[in-house]
Amino acid sequence: MSIGTLVNKQNSDGGWPYVRGGSWTEPTVYAVMALLAAGETEAAGRGLHWLRKARRSDGGWPPRLGIDQSGWVTGLVALLPPAILGEEIHRHAVRWLLGTEGKETTRIYRLREWLLGVPSPAEQDFPGWPWVPGTAAWVGPTSIAIMALQKENRQRPTSAIANRIREGQQFLLARMCKSGGWNHGSSNALGYAAHPYPETTGMALAALRGVTGPKVEMAVAVAQKFLGECRSADALNWLRLGLRAQDQMPHDFCPPSDVARRTIPETSLDVLVAEAVRQGRDVFVNLV
Amino acid sequence: MANESSAKTFPHSMSRREWLALSAGAATVALSACNTQRPIEPSLVSIVKAPAYDQSIYDTMRRMLASHSLDVRGRNIVLKPNLVEFEPESSINTNPLVVHAAYEAFHAMGAASVRIAEGPGHRRNTLDLADAAGYFKIVPQFEDQFTDLNLDDVTRVYPHRQFSRVEKLYLPNTALGADLLVSIAKMKTHHWVGATLSMKNLFGTVPSGVYGWPKNVLHWAGIDESIADLHEAFPHHFSIVDGIVGMEGNGPIQGVPKHAGVLVAGNDPVAVDATCCRIMCIDPFQIGYLRLASDTDSHMSERNVNQIGEAIADVATPFDLIPEFQRLRMVKS
Repeated sequence: MSIGTLVNKQNSDGGWPYVRGGSWTEPTVYAVMALLAAGETEAAGRGLHWLRKARRSDGGWPPRLGIDQSGWVTGLVALLPPAILGEEIHRHAVRWLLGTEGKETTRIYRLREWLLGVPSPAEQDFPGWPWVPGTAAWVGPTSIAIMALQKENRQRPTSAIANRIREGQQFLLARMCKSGGWNHGSSNALGYAAHPYPETTGMALAALRGVTGPKVEMAVAVAQKFLGECRSADALNWLRLGLRAQDQMPHDFCPPSDVARRTIPETSLDVLVAEAVRQGRDVFVNLV
Repeated sequence: MANESSAKTFPHSMSRREWLALSAGAATVALSACNTQRPIEPSLVSIVKAPAYDQSIYDTMRRMLASHSLDVRGRNIVLKPNLVEFEPESSINTNPLVVHAAYEAFHAMGAASVRIAEGPGHRRNTLDLADAAGYFKIVPQFEDQFTDLNLDDVTRVYPHRQFSRVEKLYLPNTALGADLLVSIAKMKTHHWVGATLSMKNLFGTVPSGVYGWPKNVLHWAGIDESIADLHEAFPHHFSIVDGIVGMEGNGPIQGVPKHAGVLVAGNDPVAVDATCCRIMCIDPFQIGYLRLASDTDSHMSERNVNQIGEAIADVATPFDLIPEFQRLRMVKS
């Protein structure tokens, strides 16, 4: 799939499906980003219209129209430049992100656990972001939220944003697998060590841009190993974005020719990585 | 837009007199019911031996399904395997030969369509996961036959009975629209609920596109309770459990393969899962979601199961349990 395919797969309401069917927020954001990076503004404009329409009154976005709760995709929408999305809409999205955290670090939950005498594990010291409010924080949504806030902090820095970025990055470092890299969030279950996944390892490395140290070095080594073995488009996209953010992408890497890009996010992220290489800058985080 | 399907019906507002009359009537019916032994129609569960993943599974599956006299002519069937991780050498996923054998059997029985559908809870790249699990090799044109339930269009559903705190669920239209949903689970131990079989396999119908990877909403709502909720949402699903090589110990991911050499099937998921527990030498009455999903004198009891094929005693294979679940071990009578 390519830019032409993205344009062809756009639904009549302006949004995109993951594969086919109704429009969802996640593929629509990725498709808009890819189209903007490639200079395809007309289809991107229709996508932006869909996104503005899908926005909820609390300032966040649902996974798709008709679902009555905002969720992690708000971080994705906040990656879009304010000038393109709308300054006020973007500000509310950032506010939604700042007011959202995993349930396990909320004061009420901690008080409850303290009253019950349940010890709080060290990896729950730092707030991350959940997929759905009212549940625990995970690596995927936390990485996306950090990237959105990093972008905002470059343009309109505040201490609140800087704090959440720092805490989010500490969340990621605390949740790293023993062998390096990241699972979807748990580094172990019932004492058994969890294995890292390529896609979440790439996402976390992308969110840890600018962070150095032995843990990041270990994760980079895991990501580079995954890069040589992996045949999944989603994983390869995130590994490349993560390694590029760490300036550790092997220069001679070429994705295997037999990798199938089946979903709109897979195609869009592939376009964004290719544009980043062509333009020599990270268009995923710095779209314009 | 997500559609809405309300399975609940809400009473219109009633006067005090109407309430009293209704209450008195209900009390009379309840009292008379106490004096009546309500006969339970036994659920049919079949156990067949299947020693290995080979071509003989196709014939075994045909015979097993024939014994249930399912009339699927002209019906739309959705097969829901259990796909979890990229580990083709492990016993973590439902073996593709079992799924393809069911696919062929339902077609041969006259089904109008047979689709394969799954929504894994850990990994986003479902088709890559299916590829690694061998589905592309075994099922011709697999991609055309497959729906990723995580990314499917959804409908808001209110189960008739709720056990968890989740008031509603958004569920995929492919699963909701099936004339018959067939859960093709793997026989595995599970480090949170004891055993994962056909009912727990329904977690894969909850779309990660809405709830995330993992589907953490279900964990916070209570895993046992959420399984019971899903059983209510899909009350008529048919169950097949792949116990040819299951998983023991720290399942459902990090356990070790366990050969039990059986396929188990039936149209009552409670009875099928309870039978699988007995094969694994686990006491089904110790499994929380089975207790929630069944009535007092339910199809969990062996006396209420019309079991055909192999006798449990002949195929019983003790699955190792982690220390936290030693209490689930069935006590020999």
